[in-house]
Amino acid sequence: MSLLKPFSKLPGLNTANILLVEGEEQFQQSLADALVEETAFTVNVRLAKSLPLPLENEESRPRIDLVVFIINLTSELSFQSAEASLKYLDPGYFLGKVCFMVTNARNASVPTEQLDAVRKLAASLHCPLLFAEDQTPDGVTNAAERLMTILKVAAGLVPMATSLYLSSLTRCTVPLDIDQPSFE
Amino acid sequence: MAEVKSGERAAAVLSEAAQCELLDLCEDQFAQLEKLQNEVILCEPDFGENPQEQSINRLIATEAELKQWLAVEPKLLAANSEVLLQAGKEEMLKLCSELEMVASCYEAKRDKLRETKELEQKWLEQKNQVLIAASDHAERLRMEKETLSELSVLQDTKAKIQKMKVYQERLMESLGDVLEKHVPLPQNEPSANRKKKNIELEISEDLISLNEILEVLMNKVLNTPHDPYVTIDNTFWPPYVEMLLRYGIAVRHQENNFKIRLETFF
Repeated sequence: MSLLKPFSKLPGLNTANILLVEGEEQFQQSLADALVEETAFTVNVRLAKSLPLPLENEESRPRIDLVVFIINLTSELSFQSAEASLKYLDPGYFLGKVCFMVTNARNASVPTEQLDAVRKLAASLHCPLLFAEDQTPDGVTNAAERLMTILKVAAGLVPMATSLYLSSLTRCTVPLDIDQPSFE
Repeated sequence: MAEVKSGERAAAVLSEAAQCELLDLCEDQFAQLEKLQNEVILCEPDFGENPQEQSINRLIATEAELKQWLAVEPKLLAANSEVLLQAGKEEMLKLCSELEMVASCYEAKRDKLRETKELEQKWLEQKNQVLIAASDHAERLRMEKETLSELSVLQDTKAKIQKMKVYQERLMESLGDVLEKHVPLPQNEPSANRKKKNIELEISEDLISLNEILEVLMNKVLNTPHDPYVTIDNTFWPPYVEMLLRYGIAVRHQENNFKIRLETFF
């Protein structure tokens, strides 16, 4: 078992590296295409189905600044795979270098327990939870922009801001009444 | 990192000396970075797995960061004024373009608000007109109410009653005229038959006119509304009774053939 560590390698100059983890590989590619359009610095996007990452290109892999777990709410499997992958992350990542991105949250067939489970997971790890629309190009651009904001901070490209500081403000919190029965 | 980056970009248009200075600075920074990196790798602590320990880690890390921020001293990017000028210029240009965007955004917002304002003003004008009309109406009503005293109401009513009386008088008169002209009291006609004339005279002695029949009927209705029927006696000339019944002016009693009453016109 090899942990992915946030500080195991030297950072590149004017470079930010983001790792998108998605079990079903539906949203990854379009999101990656949107992310690399950034011009002010180099954005390296790495894609993975799950963690741990394979050992063979361990050497060529840059330091990962931000790990994004993409969870499709309509698929139970994508949640389970993300949950399983979390074990292979160094705890240092959870100080602001992990975020969850949920897709299909607007789908009416999604049971509310599914969303609650994701929120609880994100809240227990103190990570931000983003919602994205993966069907429209606008939604993809939006999601990329939001990720880029976090990535810039995580890669240290924003003076006077650190990822721990940012994540303290943006982390997901579970509402107190999440376990209460709703009256609907 | 950020300092290094911005310094690097500015170096493109700087003099050789300044560029050298910047590069030295960058190298210093990078050396420091490498040193720190090695330290980090060497003293990588073993984090706990469960979320509670992670919360503690987080707390410790945040506190450490806070301490660092409190201790940090703001320092110049570089001592060289040329570098500073260049960096400042760049920042200014960036800020300018950002501010321009903000300005155009606000201009658009302002235009939209202006449009909304015009629309609202139009509405307000309409509402005001309605208000003026309504208050005018209210004022008029109030004036009317003020000028209306008890006396004037009384006089008004009196005048109305007077008018009604006159009207009734006229109706009665014209009724009388019509009756007098078209249905006179049966009298001796200059008929040829003497005998027949005698018989008629005999009958017509205590006959009453149609006028009087109607009067009897009307009085009966008004005086005893519960029993409006009048018994037909020999003072009623049968043709008249027949006529009243036929034209629906009078109605016969359902059980007693000799009783009639005025049709309920009211």
